[in-house]
Amino acid sequence: MTAQTRNRWWPWAAIVLSLATAFTLAMVSPADDVQGNLVRIMYLHVPAAWLAYLAFLVTFVGSVAYLLTRHFRWDRIAAASAEIGVYFTGLAIVLGMIWAKPTWGVWWTWDARLTLTAIMFFVYLGYLALRRTTDDPIARANRAAVLGVVGAIQIPLVHFSVVWWRTLHQPPSIIRPDGPAIQDSMMLVALIVGVLAFTVVYVSLMVKRIELIHLEDQRDAVERTADQPVAGEAVTAPDLGGPS
Amino acid sequence: MSDWGWVALAYGVTYGSLAVFAGSIALRIRNARRSLGEIE
Repeated sequence: MTAQTRNRWWPWAAIVLSLATAFTLAMVSPADDVQGNLVRIMYLHVPAAWLAYLAFLVTFVGSVAYLLTRHFRWDRIAAASAEIGVYFTGLAIVLGMIWAKPTWGVWWTWDARLTLTAIMFFVYLGYLALRRTTDDPIARANRAAVLGVVGAIQIPLVHFSVVWWRTLHQPPSIIRPDGPAIQDSMMLVALIVGVLAFTVVYVSLMVKRIELIHLEDQRDAVERTADQPVAGEAVTAPDLGGPS
Repeated sequence: MSDWGWVALAYGVTYGSLAVFAGSIALRIRNARRSLGEIE
């Protein structure tokens, strides 16, 4: 196996292996005293929400770095991370709804955490839409970077919404002043491994998504060059008076 | 639906959507490589 082939396949292999490990641990961990087997949905919902934060934080860092350096590498990182972040946010919302229906009796409620998460989802969808409004790579990167910086204010708003307002949504279970609320070590391990597995998924998707943006940029640049008239066609060779 | 039914739905949505998302990236990479090869 060549190094290039290995580089093509390791992200996909890492995704399969990490998710298989997380799935096994989530299934063998005990049922919760209150939630029963529904607690197993939390081993997906919580990691998805955390990875959404991480992805949008990387978009913020990439946007700031682009505005400071004007290197397109940072714009590619910000764009790739935003797309993956939108996926994880959407997944966290859907998983939350699947858990809420049998637990709360409703699919959705206009709770502060849920509402702010939905707003964050649509703002970053807008970020992706904004990137498609122009073919000029410089204008695209500049506009997206500004929204990438401004949009990041939602990350602490969403996370601390359960502390700042009275919400139906549970307060934090792991990062708390008095330690994790989860007492069973197997359940804690299943949740932490779930977060680690989703982090591996995020990194692997980032590698492939950045590769895709790089290829698309190359293709666009080649197409733009191909559309230009060739300068040589407009130039007539000077007549030097020699033999024709 | 039983608790296990909801759990199965959640895992199906997660793993299914992830497969579609990752698959779409893989296909787009393949198409971009192909069209880049054709142009060049």
